Amino acid sequence: MLSLAATLAEPQHFSLAEKLLLIVLTAASAAAFWRRFGAVLDKIRQSKKDPGFHLFPLGRRVWDFFWEVLCQAKVIRQRPLPGLAHAFVFWGFCAFALVTLNHFASGIGVGFLSPSGPFGRFYFYLAAAFAFTCAAGIFGLFVRRFFIRPKWLGQKLSWESGFIALLIFVLMATYLAAFFVADASPATRILWWTHTLAILIFLPIIPHTKHLHLLLSPATVFLSRGGFSQIPPLVGDEDFGLVAGTDLTQLVSLQAYSCVECGRCTEHCPAANTGKLLNPKEIVLGVRAYLNDLGPASDQSLLGKYNAQEAVFQCTTCGACEFQCPVGIEHLPILIGLRRGAVNTGAWEDDYGAKLFLALERGSNALGISPSERDKFIQKQALALFDGTQEYCLWLGCMGGYDPKGREIVADFARVMNYLGTSYGVLRKEKCTGDPVRRLGNDLLFQQLAEANLEILAQSKVKKIVTICPHCVRTIQEDWKDYGTPPPIEHHSEFLARFADKLPKQITDETIVYHDPCYLGRYRNVFDEPRAVTALAGTVVEAPRNHERSFCCGAGGGLTFLGEETGERVSHVRAAELVATGATTVGTACPFCNSMFRDALAESGEAAPQLLDIAQLTARGLPKNEAV
Amino acid sequence: MKIIVAIKQVPERDAQVRVDAAAKWIEASDLQYALNESDAYALEEALQLKEKHGGEVIVVTAGPERVGQTIREALAKGADRGIHIDCDDLESRDALGVARLLAAAVKPENADLLLTGLQSEDLGQGQTGVILAELLGLPHASLILHVEKTDSGLTVKRELEEGWFQTIELPTPAVLTIQSGGNKLRYATLMGIKRAKTKEVRRATAAELAVDAAPVVLLERVSLPQKQKSTQILPGTPKEAAAALVEKLKFEVRVL
Repeated sequence: MLSLAATLAEPQHFSLAEKLLLIVLTAASAAAFWRRFGAVLDKIRQSKKDPGFHLFPLGRRVWDFFWEVLCQAKVIRQRPLPGLAHAFVFWGFCAFALVTLNHFASGIGVGFLSPSGPFGRFYFYLAAAFAFTCAAGIFGLFVRRFFIRPKWLGQKLSWESGFIALLIFVLMATYLAAFFVADASPATRILWWTHTLAILIFLPIIPHTKHLHLLLSPATVFLSRGGFSQIPPLVGDEDFGLVAGTDLTQLVSLQAYSCVECGRCTEHCPAANTGKLLNPKEIVLGVRAYLNDLGPASDQSLLGKYNAQEAVFQCTTCGACEFQCPVGIEHLPILIGLRRGAVNTGAWEDDYGAKLFLALERGSNALGISPSERDKFIQKQALALFDGTQEYCLWLGCMGGYDPKGREIVADFARVMNYLGTSYGVLRKEKCTGDPVRRLGNDLLFQQLAEANLEILAQSKVKKIVTICPHCVRTIQEDWKDYGTPPPIEHHSEFLARFADKLPKQITDETIVYHDPCYLGRYRNVFDEPRAVTALAGTVVEAPRNHERSFCCGAGGGLTFLGEETGERVSHVRAAELVATGATTVGTACPFCNSMFRDALAESGEAAPQLLDIAQLTARGLPKNEAV
Repeated sequence: MKIIVAIKQVPERDAQVRVDAAAKWIEASDLQYALNESDAYALEEALQLKEKHGGEVIVVTAGPERVGQTIREALAKGADRGIHIDCDDLESRDALGVARLLAAAVKPENADLLLTGLQSEDLGQGQTGVILAELLGLPHASLILHVEKTDSGLTVKRELEEGWFQTIELPTPAVLTIQSGGNKLRYATLMGIKRAKTKEVRRATAAELAVDAAPVVLLERVSLPQKQKSTQILPGTPKEAAAALVEKLKFEVRVL
């Protein structure tokens, strides 16, 4: 009978036989646990050290640990209801730490929390509250996995997950039930031993299943590389990327073993969502299976049995996977690492890929067009050449310099800069920043391009760069750091947003659906500036998937230069989503997105919305006498 | 199979060329250089033969210091070693002179097969490979797209005009000049470049090779083509104009 004075019932006396049994069972459980967990730790420890890894500064790491692990922020924000349920299970585990310790201690007669003492009473009630929410949480998650069955959890039902859910439920139920019985009652002993056995069965299961994340993921989040798509440097003459087990680093191994199989990465992957082979979760699990079977000292290829080369080259590097992961797995360095292993060794044979590489080996741009065409464009638009005196260097990039649409965007941005009175110039010579070859894993070509460009920038005495292409921004600012010190660079949306109050506000009833480019949004965290600029030209409308959830246009990762894609076309799927908003205009901030949608929107025929870059939208509002 | 590939470093295809002050050659400053296109196909053919039949691929080139870069590229793509004939005055030598240098450098190698590109992108004479064969006393075939090794030598596919091809059998050792487009070219890889660091590049000076350098063909003048445009309006009825047009195309322009 429940009374307000109910306390947690415990057996008052354990016989010697019981104590011995407890010790033996605990030892057996711990040994079984360690046998597997120790082996996993060994595999991680025996992996190659991560080059360029810095533990300090600790600030970011501590914050990430607090926010993402303790507060479960990403878990909840990205999938609210199941996330909250999981958070309660996690917080329940945390709250139960002392309870469990005391439980075993009292089993051998050295219990330290008294259910009738003031602290003990308070703590046991607190733990009871957590036990209740934990039980509710695990029950909800069980129903979701076994009855609702969301598709990213996979087709196969996981009996292992069901069993663990049952164990957790039993743990919470036996704890709560002990408030309703008396110390002396035989039920108390039964509850106590059931609770104990549930723990002792759970413990060795942990390292054999994805529940390893209980122990590893706090470390994984803490030790993550940071940044976004932080690609490690290659070290020495024998390092070509992730070719075999010997190339897997400690971080990669730790991350592979931390995978919780939640499928959040797959849920948001453009390739996985359009019927392609690539599934980011399976890439990580493939690495884990490799480590389980062969270990980190094997020289068998990582691609082949454990992961398909075809899948790895379907990635647009949009980053939705890495962004979503609640346990700190960084998918992009793994995918790009696998690509490096194939490309740097010549194992990747692809006609379009070879064509792209040969074009950049011989020439200056990824489109394979003669550089004199860029010169002609500069002359035709009467763009000033950068001579060291202007404030900005306007970097054209391959699209801005050679693509018809990219050129229109550059021309309009130049008009706006003229209107604002900004001094800028374009370089006489530019080579491709190397973004597509960097993402495809061709480090030889990337180094050549980065070094050549850094030389040009240094000789031209460039202090600041502005450009229309987020890929150029990312590559120049981050990826070139491996080969020198690039000058600061910003995207034209950031530039224009600073001058938003000086730019004319257009009176129009146009609705503009703004598409967040991957390399500007997820990669650079720039969401508000392009919207502020778009708002000058009409009413901004959001696509269903926007901001960090923006769905890739399909061009990234070098894929726009490769051949036909299988399955549905990513660009068409996204374009349909944008059209469905009913907006009159699609607003873009990346010439590649623009190029992909130009093709995809053509499918809508007459009914297609206009497609304009934010520079074009802005220039449209300028007084008519502003000419370049 | 021991295969020698003679390669040439030429100005980049898209380079804006200007005639130099003496009007004897193009202005070399500010030029970017690259591997001659048909030589790249020759190298690819050699590498594929090596992959199929084993052996060694050696690249040989004549030129100043900068051609070392092209040799390294070839080594990075899979050639086993290189021979760099130091020569600062390549422009003043004719095809015979260059072929003499190459012949002197490669003769001691006793190769089974020598490949050159069909013609260079700068001078486009198409002669060096053929003269080389003559100097070495070897059979040759030109405009080759595909090479197969047989028990008795080689079977090669030769490109003629208007879509016709010729299949030729010849014994080894032999010289072949390779046409572009026969294979898919491989890209240079990081692994290739790293391995290339340890590959041997033998230097030989033009003086050491002691060949007769006096040119028999002199390049008198280099000029840019003059653009001419002339328009003729053909009068008369459509039938008359058509007849007049056919006349002109047959006898003046000579495309029919």
